[in-house]
Order: sequence, then structure tokens, then C-alpha cells
Amino acid sequence: MTTTANVPSWAGVIASISLVLIAAAVTWQQRLGITRELLIASVRAFVQLLAVGALLLFVFHLGLLAAFAWLAVMTVIGGVVAGRRARGLPDATRVAGVAIAVGTASTMGVLLVLQVISLKPEVVIPVGGMVISTAMTVTAVTLRRTRDAVSEQRAAVEARLSLGLTAREAFEPVRRASVRLALTPAIDTTKVVGLISLPGAMTGLILAGVEPLEAIRYQIVVMYMLLAAAALASLVSSRMAESALFDEGERLRQLVGASG
Amino acid sequence: MPPVDEPVVELFTLEHVVVELGGQRVVDGVTDHIHEGHATALVGPSGSGKTTVLRLLNRLVEPTEGRVLFRGRDVRELDVHDLRRRVGLLGQHPVMLTGTIGEEVRVGRTDLADDDVEGLLDRVALGHFPQDRPTAGLSGGEQQRLALARALAVEPEALLLDEPTSALDPASARSVDRVVRSLVQGGLSVVLVSHDRDRAASLADDALVLDRGRLVERGHPRAVRYLTERSEDL
Repeated sequence: MTTTANVPSWAGVIASISLVLIAAAVTWQQRLGITRELLIASVRAFVQLLAVGALLLFVFHLGLLAAFAWLAVMTVIGGVVAGRRARGLPDATRVAGVAIAVGTASTMGVLLVLQVISLKPEVVIPVGGMVISTAMTVTAVTLRRTRDAVSEQRAAVEARLSLGLTAREAFEPVRRASVRLALTPAIDTTKVVGLISLPGAMTGLILAGVEPLEAIRYQIVVMYMLLAAAALASLVSSRMAESALFDEGERLRQLVGASG
Repeated sequence: MPPVDEPVVELFTLEHVVVELGGQRVVDGVTDHIHEGHATALVGPSGSGKTTVLRLLNRLVEPTEGRVLFRGRDVRELDVHDLRRRVGLLGQHPVMLTGTIGEEVRVGRTDLADDDVEGLLDRVALGHFPQDRPTAGLSGGEQQRLALARALAVEPEALLLDEPTSALDPASARSVDRVVRSLVQGGLSVVLVSHDRDRAASLADDALVLDRGRLVERGHPRAVRYLTERSEDL
């Protein structure tokens, strides 16, 4: 693969290690007790990125099928991570995995079918990665908030059930609040995009030498895709969580081990 | 008014009911009836399974073994929403579900006219409040009476009360008790959980005494030892 302009050489990377040493020196001098962790994290990041770079190179050579397999693996990992955030919620990992998959597949599917983004491994993987990561965050917040609300608002949900409302009706206020909370950061980010931060895709393209007006086209598409993926993932995860939370007698289940 | 069934059919019947929650046997082989038109008190020390027995009656708890019958039919055969409309429940703490008094009464019955809401508020001694008054500003006793009106709005045949006054100050508790007493006198079947023996004795026609999940006594409150002997109080 050819190196594009504006990318640091390996010598430059080695030089940047001095920055880690500065950070380590500060934390050590201030006796923050996190110097060791900081160094380990830096080494870890180096190794991880090196491995991912090599793996991506390999996957790009293998072709599209491998790219989609890669996304599938990322989705599973995302499901496990988001599910762990909602420990205690029945079936959390599966719920999170499906929600992330639906959010990612439907938004990317639309853009691929409309040929807005091209069907190439070097496009599918990074774009898919962004979508999965957004869907994962939103799913984690949705499920975690849902789980917490189950304990906080059990009495209210049972009061509604006791009036003969269906589980869905009784849970609706909780579900809506969770989805709203989970989507607020995505909406806020969209609001201030370009004003406060230059988002990832655009930054990357500009660094790589693409004209800003071209870079923003990509960013706009990515941003809208992330919004849709977030909304879908949150919706799917909250609905699935709701189903998992009620048993066949429309009783709100007791959560076990709902800590952390 | 509930329809008058054949006299032999009891309002609720518990048949060898066992409930295990989290590996613990909370209700341990309870068999008994709860009569139509009575106020039945479930009493006993804390942890005796009173609330669990109450929640069996509107299927918020499922028996691990045995059966619960409502008017002679296994509650599992009934549509659960229908059962819960026919068997209302008022919880321990006042829980407001909406913003205003009028909305609150209508949670389970969105079709109620203003006059109907007015009538319900009168029944719970809240008739002097406007319907657009925010629920947030009400006292605990007023909120609990409003929750009672909300439960009555769906016209239940029986009302389950889970220590509805235990979280209230004495004056508020009395205001709720007065409403409950008038409902009982009006012929509504009421099942009441109470740890307060005096309250149970004064409100109920029947008392079921539970201890560690077992039914240990039952009868008229004045004849039940648990309610007449006060020596072991507290």
C-alpha cells in the first residue's frame, strides 16, 4: 500500500513516544499513582493499533466477504460490551448484539444500496466501525437506564399493571425516557458538529489531503447514518429489553445481580 | 356492584399455594378462601408472606405450586388484564403516575367524563380539589386517596390494599382508613395487608394470620389470638 501525504513516518511515531514520557513524568512527579497504568495503556495502544493495522491490511486483501465478517465480529464484541453495562437485565448481551446489528445493517444497507458509499473493504470497515461504535454506546445507555429504571420505578410500573394496562403500556414511560436519554448525546453532537469539534471522518480525510468541501460531504453522510443507527439501536434494544423484562403473566421480573 | 354468583363460589380460593422467591419459600402451602363482600385482613409478623399472598391475587406473583382461583376459576385461565381490572391493588407508598388529579384518575380509564372523575374524587374525600391541580403538591394521604380513586375508576370487584397507610403520618393514615371503611361498608370486597393489629382488627371481618409463609390462624378479628393478645407486640 502506498503512503498518502501528511502521515507521520515511523521515525515520527518513535519521536512521539517522548510525549508519553512527558505525561508519565507529570503523573509521577505529582504522585498521582497512575504512571504505571498510563505507560501500560500507551504500550497497549501501540500494540493494538499495530495489530489492527496489520489485520486490516490482510482483510483488505481478502476482499469484501472478509470485511463483512470483520463487522460481524465487531458487532458481537459491541454486544458483549454494551450487554455488560446492563448486567442484571435478562438476556442483555443478546439484546445488545441484535440492536447493534439492526442499527448497523439497516443504515449501512441503505447507503450501500443507494451507492452513496462504495462497496469496498477499505470503506465498509471504517464506516461500519463508526456505526457499530455509536450503536454500541447508545445501546449501552438505553439498556443501563432501562435496568436502573426497573428498580427505581417498579412501584409505578406495577401500579399501571394493576389497573389492567398491558405490559407495553405500563412500561412505555420508562422505555421512552431511556430512549430519550440515550439519544440526547447523539443529537447534541449533531447540533454542534463543526462548531466545537471536527468529527473523525472529516478530520481523517482532511489529514489525508482531501479538500475540505469534499471531506464534509462524507461527514454529513456519516453523521446522518450515525443518527439513524443510534435511533434504531436504541429503539430495538429498548423494545427487546421490555419483552425480556416481563414474563408470560405480564409480571415485571425481579433483576438479579443488578450491580455495576 | 359485583354480580352475585352462586353462594358456594368464593371470591378467592388458595389451594396448597407455595411461592418460592430467590430460593426461599415465602409462602408455604396456604389453603383458604377469601369471602365476597368481606374485608379480609392478612396479618402476621414481617416476613410472614402477607404481601406475597396479596400479590398472588392479581397475579403479580405466580405460585410455584398450587392454584389461586378467582370466583372459582384459576387466575391463569383468565385474561391477566381483565383480572387486574377486576382486582385492583393499592401499594404501600403513594405513587403518582401523571401530572394532574384529573389525569391520575383516568390512567386506567381514559374515557371517564369530568362528572365521573368528580364522583370518584368525592368517594375518596378529594372532591374539593380541581381536576387540573398538580399531583406533586398533594400530601402523602391525599396522594394515597387519589391512588385509591384511580383504582376505583376501573370499577374493580375487589380491592387489594398493601399496607396503604404504613408510609403516612397518623392523620393522613386516618383519612385513608375512613375512605377504606366507607368502601367496605358500601359492599366492596377488600383484602388488606397490615402489620398494625389495631387497624386490622378495626377494619376487617376476617383475619388470616400468617407466620413464616404458613397460615397459622384464621377467623373473626376478635377471635383470632394474634390480634387479641397484644403481649408479644414488637
